[in-house]
Amino acid sequence: MIVFAAHALVVAGLVIAALLVYRFRDLLSAAIAFGVFSFLLSLEFYILQAPDVAIAEAGIGAGLTTAIYTIAVRGTQRWEETEE
Amino acid sequence: MRMSKVVRTAADILFPFVLIFGFYIVVHGHLTPGGGFQGGAVIATAIVLLIAAYGYDAIARRITKDALRNTEALGLIAFIATALVALALGAGFFYNWLAGTGLLFGMPVGFGPNPGDLNTGGTIPLMNLAVGIEVLGALSLIVLYMLSGTQEAA
Amino acid sequence: MKRVIMAATVAVLLAGFLAPVIGLDFGEPAYTDMDEYFVQHGQEQTGGNNIVTDVVFDFRGFDTLGEATVLFVAVLGVGLVFRTLRGGET
Repeated sequence: MIVFAAHALVVAGLVIAALLVYRFRDLLSAAIAFGVFSFLLSLEFYILQAPDVAIAEAGIGAGLTTAIYTIAVRGTQRWEETEE
Repeated sequence: MRMSKVVRTAADILFPFVLIFGFYIVVHGHLTPGGGFQGGAVIATAIVLLIAAYGYDAIARRITKDALRNTEALGLIAFIATALVALALGAGFFYNWLAGTGLLFGMPVGFGPNPGDLNTGGTIPLMNLAVGIEVLGALSLIVLYMLSGTQEAA
Repeated sequence: MKRVIMAATVAVLLAGFLAPVIGLDFGEPAYTDMDEYFVQHGQEQTGGNNIVTDVVFDFRGFDTLGEATVLFVAVLGVGLVFRTLRGGET
């Protein structure tokens, strides 16, 4: 029962984090939300019994990709341009 | 652009543990979940942690891009050389020429669930090490290149 | 109207992602000969206990070689782009 609850929470958090990445106009916030998404995705891989993929996702997705996006935002501009 | 003393102390304490965990994942790749790619990514995360705590200028003096570039090329060359040795021995490319010979990493392993022995696996641990070295160099190099490129633009 | 469409999309997505949690059956894979072979013989032929690593580094070594090459070329591209942006530094 508690496994079902944890799994449902992780999956719901995945969808919410993905929507937040889509909705944020502040690109730095979107990068952080993408880090949260990657972390939850690695938890989901672990629950689905794929620990190899979980380690790779935690290292690359949650660690390095967030750093790379943050550097890219710092080098360009922070706010997304609103379409007219 | 260095962070406060709290962040720097936490990074100092965390760094060796993350490093050792990465090496564990690489070396035990044929026994436990993980492997070269995952372990190299974890070690590169440790280097990014240091960069986040101390800033680019302090780290780029210690860990130069030339050293990382050589590390990456060395890993790829070692990976291909391990596969080429099989060709020299008269077998196919990527043949596991060390398995079951009794040499280094050559102990035979029993079938079925067993705790495993580090001295097994043939060429798999060697290839794990090579790929781990390559991924560690490559991923750190990407972050360092991007930081050095955006340093003047920011 | 836009808000309603957004809410409906979120609801459908949540329902679709939560369905496997409840226990949706995805059926059996069509061909299992190859995975059966790997599971049966991987440990004897390579000596590694982790079947995933056996497949990645032994049975499918060429894929790993391609992945390593892709990473190498990606680093080359990143270095090329950002060295031009910086200017004269080598």
